[in-house]
Amino acid sequence: MNAMSSTTLTLRFLQREFRERFTGSLSGSAWALLQPLLQLGVYSFVFVHVFKARIPGADAPGYVPFLVTALWPWTAFSEAVLRSTTVIQNNAALIGKVALPREVLVFASVCTSFAVHVAGFVAILLVLRVGNAGIALGGLPLALMSYVPLFALALGISLACAAVQVFVRDLAQLLVQLLPLMMFGAPVFYDRALLPPAVQPWLSLNPFTFYADAFRVTLLHHGSVAWSSVAIAVAVAALVLVAGIGVFRRLDAHFEDFL
Amino acid sequence: MSELLIEARGLGKAYPKVHRSGDRLRALGRLLFRGEDGDRISVLRDVDLEVRRGESLGLIGANGAGKSTLLKLITGVLTPSSGSVRVRGKVGALLELGAGFHPEYSGRDNIAMAAALHGLDGAELRRRLPEIIAFADIGDYIDEPVKHYSSGMVVRLGFAVIASLKPDLLVTDEVLAVGDESFQKKCVRWMQDYLDGGGTLILVSHSMYHVQKLCRHACWLRDGEVAMTGDVFDVTQAYLAWHERKSAPQETSPNPDRRNVEFSVLDMSLDGQTGEQPVLLGQGEPLEVRCRIRSREDRMPSVAIGVTRADGTPVYGVSTDMDGHHPQRLAAGEYACRLVFDALPLLPGSYTVRVHPLDPEGVRVFDTMERTLTVRGATREFGLVRLAHRWDTLPGEARHE
Repeated sequence: MNAMSSTTLTLRFLQREFRERFTGSLSGSAWALLQPLLQLGVYSFVFVHVFKARIPGADAPGYVPFLVTALWPWTAFSEAVLRSTTVIQNNAALIGKVALPREVLVFASVCTSFAVHVAGFVAILLVLRVGNAGIALGGLPLALMSYVPLFALALGISLACAAVQVFVRDLAQLLVQLLPLMMFGAPVFYDRALLPPAVQPWLSLNPFTFYADAFRVTLLHHGSVAWSSVAIAVAVAALVLVAGIGVFRRLDAHFEDFL
Repeated sequence: MSELLIEARGLGKAYPKVHRSGDRLRALGRLLFRGEDGDRISVLRDVDLEVRRGESLGLIGANGAGKSTLLKLITGVLTPSSGSVRVRGKVGALLELGAGFHPEYSGRDNIAMAAALHGLDGAELRRRLPEIIAFADIGDYIDEPVKHYSSGMVVRLGFAVIASLKPDLLVTDEVLAVGDESFQKKCVRWMQDYLDGGGTLILVSHSMYHVQKLCRHACWLRDGEVAMTGDVFDVTQAYLAWHERKSAPQETSPNPDRRNVEFSVLDMSLDGQTGEQPVLLGQGEPLEVRCRIRSREDRMPSVAIGVTRADGTPVYGVSTDMDGHHPQRLAAGEYACRLVFDALPLLPGSYTVRVHPLDPEGVRVFDTMERTLTVRGATREFGLVRLAHRWDTLPGEARHE
């Protein structure tokens, strides 16, 4: 199959993914924005009014923009991984009967999650900007660029998970448990500076920590990110992607035997 | 020799034995870290197959012989466990009812997806869409979800997509049998045109009739191995003989109703052959049709003999009363007649010869018996029969030369 028809195929699957996600639910495409908004509402109520969470530092932003800048990218990432993990299994009927490049299925699924949540992200940033919440929109291009390695990371993990899920069906359940751990292990809800100094460096082991920091630096000028950690994050994303493709290619030929 | 489209060497497929959930994990580990896996059940072994452009191959065999597995290996849905298969050119596959169709989506959406799966881009699809919809001919259902379709409609849609693709190689099985009479004819006609136009076909079928009609070669799979390949008639005859041996004691008794009607066909033969096997004939060779008719009241019947194309298109029919001929009386209540075509002008293809006894007035048909006739030959003429003709120069136009 040549590159051109692969593109057409990817577009068709994207179209299908979008429709599957939005035409089946009551509120249609509004759900994409509504669900993270509700989530944000709950979190900001709990953290701002119940726990009275504070961000340290004189120029610290309010808690809501602080949360938005990391939570939205996290939602894109975790939803992409969760949904893509079962995509091969869910398309067993198609895979068993039609020859197609299967990675297209995973790619389309990850793309859809990112498209939905990046759009939602930009929308809510604009809303917050209008509400004068100290969003530096000048940092938006840089913030959007941070989505590139995040996408690569998600795609790599998704490819590996989707392939392994064919063999071990418990993986999806396991991920539902593991992803929140990864979220709480990254400074999404809290600021790294609030942790005891001995613990702080350990957070860097979590691949998402960089992204939480990066989005806040670009959009809120909060905290700092060293150039070296940018390089490491990009390298990690590239490595994960290559490894994911490797695992997927290795197992691809045997999907039919185990589906 | 024309281009080789499919070349399979020592092709084999084995499925892993997965009984307990632990087996899956072990298989995963083996595949990831050693690139091999353990216990396997072999469903196809050592298949060597060559299909050249313009060939038509029938794939026959009992259930579970590995036919579908072989097709899936050829279309690339499955990866071979051993050996190799190389396929050149665009493959159009119509394997199972509604394969690749999503039940929740409309016919139109599914056409778009199927087209993309076969490598058509958006512009190309827009160009061909009217043609596909016209071929499927399912009316307003095209915008309904496929789950509301009848199985015939699903097949129509699938075949319409494949037909529009004009693949180098068409791989199909008996899904066509689901369509109604008119659609089947349309498909068979399309396939014959496709083959005449140099298309290559692999057909899986349990209907020897279809295989003989559409294919010139056949491959018989038995328990995952090639039992025989070669000319379609040799292979199908061997296959049928094998089946007959397997189910020998079942003797079919003549239809009891037959004995009670006023006239019935006792037997018929084409060139002296009485069996169920199709009679082979070269183009322009003579054909002799014989039949014996039983007459309950010993009245002289009238006998009609007709030839139709395998898809049912009538070619020629004639009866004794039309020609003022009378069947011979052999014994009490038993009549016979013999019809000879000195040089049968049928073009190569598969035909059916039918014998019908009629009442002496030639009005009512009482019975039908038919035999398949296959005319072989290499010609590119169109149609059913060769009409007597000659090419000539226009009188008085010679000066333009």
